Amino acid sequence: MRSIRKAATAVSAVLIAAGLLAACSTSPGQPDAGGKTAITVVSLKPGSEQSAFDAFENQVKQFEAANPDIDVTSQEYEWTGPTFTAQLAGGTLPTVFTVPFTDGKSLIERGQLADLSQYVRAFGYADKFNPTVLRSGQSADGGIFGVPTAAYGVGLHYNRTLFKQAGLDPDKPPATWDEVRSYAKQIAERTGQAGYAQMTQENTGGWMLTSLTYALGGRMQVANGDKVEATIDNPGAREALTRLREMRWQDNSMGSNFLYDWGSINQEFAAGRIGMIMAGSDIYESLVQQNNIKPADYGLAVLPLAPGGSAGLLGGGTLAAVNVKASPKQQAAAAKWIDFYYMSKFLKQDAAVLDAKTLSESKQPVGLPKLPIFDKATLDQYNQWIKPYVNVPLSQMRSFNEGIFDQELAGEPTAHTQEMYAVLDTVVQAVLTDPGANIDQLLSTADSDVQAILDRG
Amino acid sequence: MRTWVRRGGLSTLVFLLPLLVIFGVFSWLPIVRAAVMSVQQTNLVTAPKFVGLENFQSVLADPLFWTAVRNTGVFALIALVFGYPIPLVVAVLMGEVRRFRGLLSAIAYLPVVVPPVVAVLMWKFFYDARPDGVFNTILGWVGLGPYRWLQSATTAMPSLVLEATWAAAGGTVIIYLAALIGVPAELYDAADVDGASIWQKIWHVTLPQLRGVLLVTLILQIIGTSQVFLEPFLFTGGGPANSTLTVLLLIYNYAFGSSLGGDYGAATALSLMLAVFLAALSAVYFWLTRSWSTS
Amino acid sequence: MSTPTSIRPVVPAGPQPVAVEPAPRQPARWSVRRARRRADDQPPRGIVSDAERRTPSVRVALQLIHATLLALLLVIGLGPILWLVKASISTTQDTLRSPMALFPSGVDWANLATAWTRVHIDLHFANSMIIASGSWLVQLIVATTGGYALSILRPRYGPVLYWLVLSTLFVPAVVLLVPLYLTVLDPPFLGVSLINTFWAVWLPAGANAFNVLLTKRFFDNLPREIFDAARIDGAGPYRIFWSVLLPMSRPILGVVSVFAFIAAWKDFLWPLLVLPNPDVQPLSVRLPTLARSTELDVLLAALMISALIPMVLFLVFQRTFLRSAGLSGALKG
Repeated sequence: MRSIRKAATAVSAVLIAAGLLAACSTSPGQPDAGGKTAITVVSLKPGSEQSAFDAFENQVKQFEAANPDIDVTSQEYEWTGPTFTAQLAGGTLPTVFTVPFTDGKSLIERGQLADLSQYVRAFGYADKFNPTVLRSGQSADGGIFGVPTAAYGVGLHYNRTLFKQAGLDPDKPPATWDEVRSYAKQIAERTGQAGYAQMTQENTGGWMLTSLTYALGGRMQVANGDKVEATIDNPGAREALTRLREMRWQDNSMGSNFLYDWGSINQEFAAGRIGMIMAGSDIYESLVQQNNIKPADYGLAVLPLAPGGSAGLLGGGTLAAVNVKASPKQQAAAAKWIDFYYMSKFLKQDAAVLDAKTLSESKQPVGLPKLPIFDKATLDQYNQWIKPYVNVPLSQMRSFNEGIFDQELAGEPTAHTQEMYAVLDTVVQAVLTDPGANIDQLLSTADSDVQAILDRG
Repeated sequence: MRTWVRRGGLSTLVFLLPLLVIFGVFSWLPIVRAAVMSVQQTNLVTAPKFVGLENFQSVLADPLFWTAVRNTGVFALIALVFGYPIPLVVAVLMGEVRRFRGLLSAIAYLPVVVPPVVAVLMWKFFYDARPDGVFNTILGWVGLGPYRWLQSATTAMPSLVLEATWAAAGGTVIIYLAALIGVPAELYDAADVDGASIWQKIWHVTLPQLRGVLLVTLILQIIGTSQVFLEPFLFTGGGPANSTLTVLLLIYNYAFGSSLGGDYGAATALSLMLAVFLAALSAVYFWLTRSWSTS
Repeated sequence: MSTPTSIRPVVPAGPQPVAVEPAPRQPARWSVRRARRRADDQPPRGIVSDAERRTPSVRVALQLIHATLLALLLVIGLGPILWLVKASISTTQDTLRSPMALFPSGVDWANLATAWTRVHIDLHFANSMIIASGSWLVQLIVATTGGYALSILRPRYGPVLYWLVLSTLFVPAVVLLVPLYLTVLDPPFLGVSLINTFWAVWLPAGANAFNVLLTKRFFDNLPREIFDAARIDGAGPYRIFWSVLLPMSRPILGVVSVFAFIAAWKDFLWPLLVLPNPDVQPLSVRLPTLARSTELDVLLAALMISALIPMVLFLVFQRTFLRSAGLSGALKG
């Protein structure tokens, strides 16, 4: 007994010593270590495949070889509200990180992002951006604080295998919301899996309800002078919720889980337990890297838009930003990394080829449908460059690739977006878990709740 | 000064140093800071601003506050219904076992040592609402269900309590068991002489003797349940439709829930309100244990 | 109790629930030892008398009750854990399609290795160990030195200090969540944020008034003559602490250690806040993140491994665990 205790003491002493070392080595972004400029950059989402991390590290090596005076450390990263706040408040954000379009404006106003205008101008593409896309990363006076690295539109992702099992043609995804409903019903009845599922947690419920509302012709906010008015109680939202309710309670085609966030719905979808989901067009990469999806299962279609001029496709994207607390040297190095890792592939053939080659060698997806950050011609050119390396089943995404450019893109609501989404989460959850939920009342309550948030400023 | 050192004042201080530093920095200072922050508006970015009782008012005006209070109360109540009498019955029965009592208490205590996060993630899978879910399969054998467990506002909270009770009841059993052993044998002997039945002995000897422990565990349980966080955070994120939003989860959401910096004033104001409630209970607890340990 | 430990709702063996131990007259026969002896030996008697035990109806009823009790405890207490063991070596499809069947498509041992290496359970397990060991050490240092100074050395300001320490017992951990977080972000005198370092968990763990209370009360009841004798022999305060006090304090150190270790192992919310960097996260913080991205079979294997370690520790040190857990029940002595 005593010897056990002694051994335990010795072990813990060693562990503590190890802990001290580890603790010392984890303070992020030690500036200018050994004459080199040290920066930390975000890599991939937690739980990604090792090969994906390997590919990333290869790109880090390529960058360091080209910039011998910069030392890059990577850190896995997934943007979620709470972790981001804690990191922001704690000053533990890496030198380079990414935020969704929706947060760009507020972060810039609060002075929490570094000014990247001079660097982006020096790279020579400051004026080539699609202006609507760039706006989310710009300050009021036009300075660039966030570099748009990717834009998405919401698409309808479906499981081709489940489609086949249900007797549906996997090359003919639904084109109207009525078809979505009947397809979902057929899948649920014939395969026993969820025909259609919807995100509901961690603000994704509000995000996707807003997408559906847009697609049915509604909008959640309107700018009224310098005041923003909540318009959550609109016919589009009412129709959206009514459709969800019918699928959930009349058809019982939405499975049995109604508490999904982005990660968990992807997981279920990749595992073949959901027929269709609405999600950003860029999730395939994550489905491969994190969730091991079978490529043959995957299909991507454009989101059906209701006829009439007001329907729009919700789109958003990701900004790369630099920690405002980083030293000027680090900021310069960080900007170089953004240029290298995120941007130059869209503009330079050799960069595009190198990027595609590195990814494909690690069996990471290359050639996913993208929305233009610059203009359509630049994007087409890029797709041309990487063609030999494309390894994703493009034919299974044809509906999206062909249809997306005909759709009316509408940006996400701009004022207090995430807070509004949080309120809407509750609405969607109520409709999907309570058969007696009163949609009109839920919407009007949410409307006044969001208005109160907007009025607070 | 020199006499102070010679009398050992310095070495006393050396021994007190760890306590002074650790408590000073990580307990007393934050307590003072909490009080200050509750009357300030601060998001760590802009300079803090004195706002008086505004934080308290805005918390009280938040409809979610009342939802959270109600949910926490419901959690505490169901936890009492599940978690209070069952361990007592188990402990009383176990107290009569002559063989394998060690084995029994080990089995009863085992869930307590399972890390809470593991228990919750495991139970989350058990609560799978498909007919193929673990619990729905088992209940299906006897023709029940399938139930929606976490997927319905009415059953989500009881489901959370069920897991919490599983995870913690063993500890309560052990506490009761220790108290049962302490019941003096003479009392039972006397009751036997008086011709008391087993039920009468339980009612007139055992339970009165356990009165103290029962009251203490009751208070401790209320203190524990009013701070429930892990279960709603990991099981449901407060859903469906805020039906499992608890006070602590609301505090967390105030402080860390928005991606653009938290409302630390509201968070500390709500914490203080909860603290007053808990401190009152702790005082009762402390007073009870003291009066018993001295009697 | 000033660290925001994750609080179990139904009174766990965390630091909170244990009541003040009875005032022992002679430390050598401290109540813990008595409690142990009582638990080991046959108790003199329970509710049912020997005469009643001899009655056939009572005997049958008792046996029936015991059998039921054992069965229920096995199913409810052990069942979920056994299921987890089974699921951790089953395939995802088996676990999903027929969760209660035994290995319809064979045993999948690879899950365990995958969880340990590819999902880096090894790393997070080590982090958990480091965090628990460090918290344990800090708590032990603060409690023993503080208890020694307050109980044996007794400075004039001692009672005030003791009162200040005890008063933190009335402040629930949750109040400190935000201000403590801010303190760790920018600790006084240091100028370096402790976020993402183990210190952020270790140091606040030390501010545990309950430990100080336990040790001080224990020391209070040690016979003063021993210390007086040591002092006359010329031992200084440091020597007395090290060579006289600590060797006599084994039982209370054991109890404090169990509490410290369990609390650190279970803690969730606090490390979640102060250790955002995945490389330093303990199992408790890491597992929920992994649950969203890891395939089910591997996740369940990871859960099994994470549960196994404390369970093995418990079975090895069962007595200390149960003794600590029952401490509050012993409050009437």
